[in-house]
Amino acid sequence: MSDLNLSKQEEPADIQRQFLVATAIILAVFFGLASRFWYLQIAKAAHFKKLSEHNRVRSLTIPPSRGIIFDRHGLILVNSKPSFSLYVIPDDVQNWEFLKEQLCKLLDLDRELVEERLIQKKANSIYPIPIRFNMSREEVGLVETYKYLIPGIYLEVSPQRNYPLGPVAPHVIGYLGEITPSQLKSGQYPDGRMGDFIGQWGLEKQWQADLGGKKGGRFLEVNVLGQEIQELGIRESVTGNNLVTTLDWEIQKVAQEALNNKAGAVAVLDPRTGEVLAMHSSPAFDPSSFYRKLSGREWKTLLSDPLKPFQNRVIQGQYPPGSTYKMITALGGLEEKVITPETQFYCNGAFPFGNRVFHCWRKGGHGMVNLHKAIVQSCDVYFYNVGNRLGVDRLARYAQAFGLGKPTEIALFPEKGGLIPTSLWKLNRYKSPWHPGETLSLAIGQGYNLTTPLQMAAMTAAIANGGTLFKPYLVKRLVAPQGTVLKEFQHQAMSSASVDPKHLRLIQEAMAGVVNEGGGTGGAARLPGIIAAGKTGTAQVVSLGKRGGRDHAWFVAFAPLESPQIAMAVLMEHGGHGGDAAAPVARKIFEAYFHLPPRGSGVAANKDEAQPSEQAGNRD
Amino acid sequence: MKRSHQNRQGTVIDRRFFQNINWSLLGLVTILIFIGVVNLYSATYQAEEEQAGTIYLKQIYWVGIGCFFLLIILFFDYHLLLPIAYPLYWFSILLLLGVLLFGRSISGSQRWLSVASFSFQPSELVKICLVLALAKYFFLNEINRRYGFRDLYIPLGMALLPALLIMKQPDLGTALLLLLVCLSLFLFLGMEWKTLIISLGGTALFLPLSWFLLKDYQKKRLLIFIQPESDPLGAGYHIIQSKIAVGSGAFWGKGFLKGTQGQLRFLPEQHTDFAFSVLSEEWGFIGSLLVVTLFLLLILTILNIARQSKDRFGMVLAFGIGGIFFWQSLINMGMVVGLVPVVGVPLPFISYGGSSIMACLIGIGLLLNIHMRRFIIQS
Repeated sequence: MSDLNLSKQEEPADIQRQFLVATAIILAVFFGLASRFWYLQIAKAAHFKKLSEHNRVRSLTIPPSRGIIFDRHGLILVNSKPSFSLYVIPDDVQNWEFLKEQLCKLLDLDRELVEERLIQKKANSIYPIPIRFNMSREEVGLVETYKYLIPGIYLEVSPQRNYPLGPVAPHVIGYLGEITPSQLKSGQYPDGRMGDFIGQWGLEKQWQADLGGKKGGRFLEVNVLGQEIQELGIRESVTGNNLVTTLDWEIQKVAQEALNNKAGAVAVLDPRTGEVLAMHSSPAFDPSSFYRKLSGREWKTLLSDPLKPFQNRVIQGQYPPGSTYKMITALGGLEEKVITPETQFYCNGAFPFGNRVFHCWRKGGHGMVNLHKAIVQSCDVYFYNVGNRLGVDRLARYAQAFGLGKPTEIALFPEKGGLIPTSLWKLNRYKSPWHPGETLSLAIGQGYNLTTPLQMAAMTAAIANGGTLFKPYLVKRLVAPQGTVLKEFQHQAMSSASVDPKHLRLIQEAMAGVVNEGGGTGGAARLPGIIAAGKTGTAQVVSLGKRGGRDHAWFVAFAPLESPQIAMAVLMEHGGHGGDAAAPVARKIFEAYFHLPPRGSGVAANKDEAQPSEQAGNRD
Repeated sequence: MKRSHQNRQGTVIDRRFFQNINWSLLGLVTILIFIGVVNLYSATYQAEEEQAGTIYLKQIYWVGIGCFFLLIILFFDYHLLLPIAYPLYWFSILLLLGVLLFGRSISGSQRWLSVASFSFQPSELVKICLVLALAKYFFLNEINRRYGFRDLYIPLGMALLPALLIMKQPDLGTALLLLLVCLSLFLFLGMEWKTLIISLGGTALFLPLSWFLLKDYQKKRLLIFIQPESDPLGAGYHIIQSKIAVGSGAFWGKGFLKGTQGQLRFLPEQHTDFAFSVLSEEWGFIGSLLVVTLFLLLILTILNIARQSKDRFGMVLAFGIGGIFFWQSLINMGMVVGLVPVVGVPLPFISYGGSSIMACLIGIGLLLNIHMRRFIIQS
């Protein structure tokens, strides 16, 4: 760089002079700015004043069309149909008293309701306030006729949800509801406005951003009465993306019919992937009822707490698994080598332990029982023995390996995790050590054990597929309105239970025995030509210290035995015994899946075969 | 020649310092903040969203926090910033990178748009940090001639790096602002004629190329600026409605809370970038002229602080901060009256925005500091 110093340099800038130059530039620029204000506010003031007075531009929203929700075969479960809503634009209103009076008269509205909706009005806001949604044809006609006499009202067409096949899996699909003030404030809905309908539950909520699309706008020039003079511009709305779910409508329908509005839950999975083929919680609600009326408080109470009245039992209901848990106990026993498949225990109907006696469900006992017979006939005494040998913490390890005791992480809220107790858990929770007697209750799925129907379905699927626990999922792909696949969702293994395949095979065969052998408790699920495997369960109901109603009935099942394609869990609240109340539901679902003729209409031979086992399976 | 600054550090708080506070600067800022808060009250008076009504209160809250920082800055000799000027600069770059990475990971999901409003915070901070770093650079590299390419590529890079990162956000306004502040500084310190001419030529060449770097909406805004009437309801809407607001205010204005254009009616972003058009509408030419004059006085006062500062570090720092205020007020007010494309730059003290207010008050704190310590004799 030294040669640079030798060459002739320009003199450094004279800083004092630079300050003068800078000052001059700044003065000139600000003078220019001030002249511009002079030009706009004095020279052209009259022009802009006129513009401002006639600035009656309205920007109205074009609601986007919401995405369609399909079943796995492309059947439309939910789409949209146009519906009319009534809005008031405060700035166009000339006489509020008149408007309220006329509206109430015209549409037979509750005055209180109108006042309530208009409470947030700002005198000359140009933003529409929603008054009434989903108006009937007659109401629309009335408003159309009289709207010029009542300045300030306007009708908007917005798409409303439509369920062409009737309510399908309402807890999964969810529903739309008017956006709440707290949601508006949360900032999660950047272009949300009062009166918007957004997903408030289920997939509709989970996928709001994708299904919702993007709002468009229409810019109108209006006259003093707020009537449209001309359209100045339009920005089309963007239709939301479509969801292809994993649900199979046929199976879902059968599940819904089979539950028949009795309190219960069904979860059906594809054991090879974790795809949810059907999920139903009963009793259900009719999602379309949310549009029917907008009667003030009723509406608000529904929306203010959408969780309680609409519990999705499949993921939120927590029940003791009962005897459906015995597969876990058996696997634990085999893996930990506290039993072999040939180990036999004698069941005389009771198992004395400490100063208590634990009973088998069959008072007379089962006699000598090995693993296979224990599962087929659901012998409690056998599992008391295994549980006692295993201990609580080893048992919990196997339950956890099959996904029990924690949420399945299905993308649906809010999911409960159930409970698989350990001695440490009890110490933390109750500050008292584990009592070995409690392990006996656990071994037959009672005690502190709590599981959701979805967990039991996932566990069954894992038993069926050789030990892989898949994350249950509901959405196969996200598709743009014009058909481009935006996202394809793949199955995801959560964990793989490292159990001896031979042991798992024994369990599967025993489960097949439950359904297909004489003396099995699950004969009601027997199928013609296909070997189904299952396990009944009965969860004791003890509520508030006294004995509650009837016990909960469980049935978990998969089929076919050799290459399982379908796995499920059925729970009937207070249904009594699993074999009676839950297994028939499973059979109907199997029949739908394998396209078998429904039992009863079927071949006589099936009926004969089924009869004795059903009698045998009256208790588990 | 490199001067040692070690011996001039000191945190002594002398009574003289407070006698030397620049009361005109403090007074101007106080008046502007007051006008800003009153105007925000009006701008959000009719707001539809429930939280909008409290925006002026939030602004007061931010002013409080900003004043706290300002006070802290007064207690320390600004020369203490010399050794940490570069680390501070890199820290702000790191924040920008963090925003960029974090922002990207959440961009797939619409619901996180609200988080994006926080993402501008580092870009406000970066303005001050860049000026600090430039001040240090020119303090260390004082030469006895005009600056040429070989002297300027480092400071230019210092400005380009954050400008590019901010442009990615994307925030064209702030990115441009950084470059304008940096270039004004170069011009002020004196560039070789050759360098000046070549860089002007280079810019002329680069501008058409940069067109391809712009996002679609930015291109649209520039096109609309050239001919706003071509799209009265799309991007031209802002410009037209803002001009109507300003123009219809006429000489005396429509009166406080009486604006019909602002108040969340026709003016978009009326409490942030277009806050000034609400003011112009309600207070007329008189009000606009008052605020324009206040900004002019503010910038001249800052220039004077730069002129009187006792060393090159203080001078460049003050000039740089003055540059920020100059360009920001010029771009924002120019935008409001349709002289400058809509690029989204807040008007200091008038627009709503916590990070903007904080950055402004930190800048004022540094200026007061430089002014207070202008008489200290070098030992």
